[in-house]
Amino acid sequence: MATTKVPEVRDLTRLERIGAHSHIRGLGLDDALEPRQGAKVGKLTLKTTEMETIYDLGNKMIESLTKEKVQAGDVITIDKATGKICKLGRSFTRARDYDAMGAQTQFVQCPEGELQKRKEVVHTVSLHEIDVLFIDEVHMLDIECFSYLNRALETDLSPVLIMATNRGITRIRGTRYESPHGIPIDMLDRLVIIATSPYTEKETRQILKIRCEEEDVELSEEAHTVLTRIGQETSLRYAIQLITCAGLVCRRRRGTEVQVEDIKRAYSLFLDEARNTQYMMEYQDSFLFNEASHSRALKRKPFHWSWVKL
Amino acid sequence: MAEEYDLKTDELLSRKVRSKTKLGGQGTWQVEVGETGSNLTDSGEIKENSSNPVFMRKDTKTSFQWRVRNIPYPADTYKVTVEPLERSCIIRTTNKKYYKKFNVPDLDRCQLPLESSALSFSHANNTLIVCYKKPKEILALEQELMRELKKLKGTNEGDVDCKTQ
Repeated sequence: MATTKVPEVRDLTRLERIGAHSHIRGLGLDDALEPRQGAKVGKLTLKTTEMETIYDLGNKMIESLTKEKVQAGDVITIDKATGKICKLGRSFTRARDYDAMGAQTQFVQCPEGELQKRKEVVHTVSLHEIDVLFIDEVHMLDIECFSYLNRALETDLSPVLIMATNRGITRIRGTRYESPHGIPIDMLDRLVIIATSPYTEKETRQILKIRCEEEDVELSEEAHTVLTRIGQETSLRYAIQLITCAGLVCRRRRGTEVQVEDIKRAYSLFLDEARNTQYMMEYQDSFLFNEASHSRALKRKPFHWSWVKL
Repeated sequence: MAEEYDLKTDELLSRKVRSKTKLGGQGTWQVEVGETGSNLTDSGEIKENSSNPVFMRKDTKTSFQWRVRNIPYPADTYKVTVEPLERSCIIRTTNKKYYKKFNVPDLDRCQLPLESSALSFSHANNTLIVCYKKPKEILALEQELMRELKKLKGTNEGDVDCKTQ
């Protein structure tokens, strides 16, 4: 039988091979007379239904085309920026090239129009992604930190800076000067200040309701009103802490819904900040190191049950 | 936007536009008129072969003009149409070798309609030239702009007057 010679087909990569002469390296061959790596060049023709363009390929692009097993007749996309190749499938026009196809072979339409297309990528950018520096308790920074920040904010790559503090006019650390929020005024001048206001009764009520749902505690309407009032008169944190306690008190008496009595019990068991301060004032003589000044005396009145209108 | 004019002929040599990116940074220059330079990618891993047609815009006083260089097919291969809905023009080839969709930013900016009657093309010396006759609104605007530009002093190029001793 006559044997047919099958020429070695190498598409995409055209390797230049030059005979073995003395200046091997200069000819693009290595010591084993194989083409040296890194000198690969290739050509690729991309077509749409409307046009075609020839591209020159570099080493990496040839490798990734080989890795993706891209053949003539495949529909692919190449991301120009990253060089990433994505195989979309085989063109319908090549459907009859072979009888046998892999099960996963997908046939797609040949792309239309221009070869290079701009793809709109919708990317929702959160503040976090564009680099936000959040500094909590910013009054703890000293004057040197602030002068560093002052300078850092002027650089091109400076992130959005958000600061938080709960201090009023206080001493700037590292100095003897006082300033609003303990931030030097030249720094303060570069900031926009978000105004905050205390929660209204309706908001407090809503927050407590959400918290109760989260903790699986059911409140009666009256108990909810009382707790809201406590939240407004003492602090929201304290009111939230009471939810768990009152829930436990209720469970202990085998109740299903927290009543005013349960809240009362929890309230009597645990002190809020104002009552604690008052308690301290009354009994400070009984404590060790009782030099507490009277300057921080009762800013808040303790909560009274008589205030709650039921 | 930056424009470059020929001081002698008053022809527009190049116009580049740079707009802000979504995050407020400076975008790259987009060439509207004039040489676009090589279309190399950053990595150089994939680039258009030099044998491909090259598209660029080069206006004359009376018309917007686009040139497709390095395109050897005969004149009857080409079909140039206006797509008024998409506000663009399309160059097609019957041999499916070349296709180009482009818009006329000047007309977009003035919100003028695209007329297919204003469009013509010719092919010579491996170059396809597509002309779009400037409407009178554009001509008036450009004349006004030219009057303003005349007030500016151009930079002196070429030989500087050397004081002889």
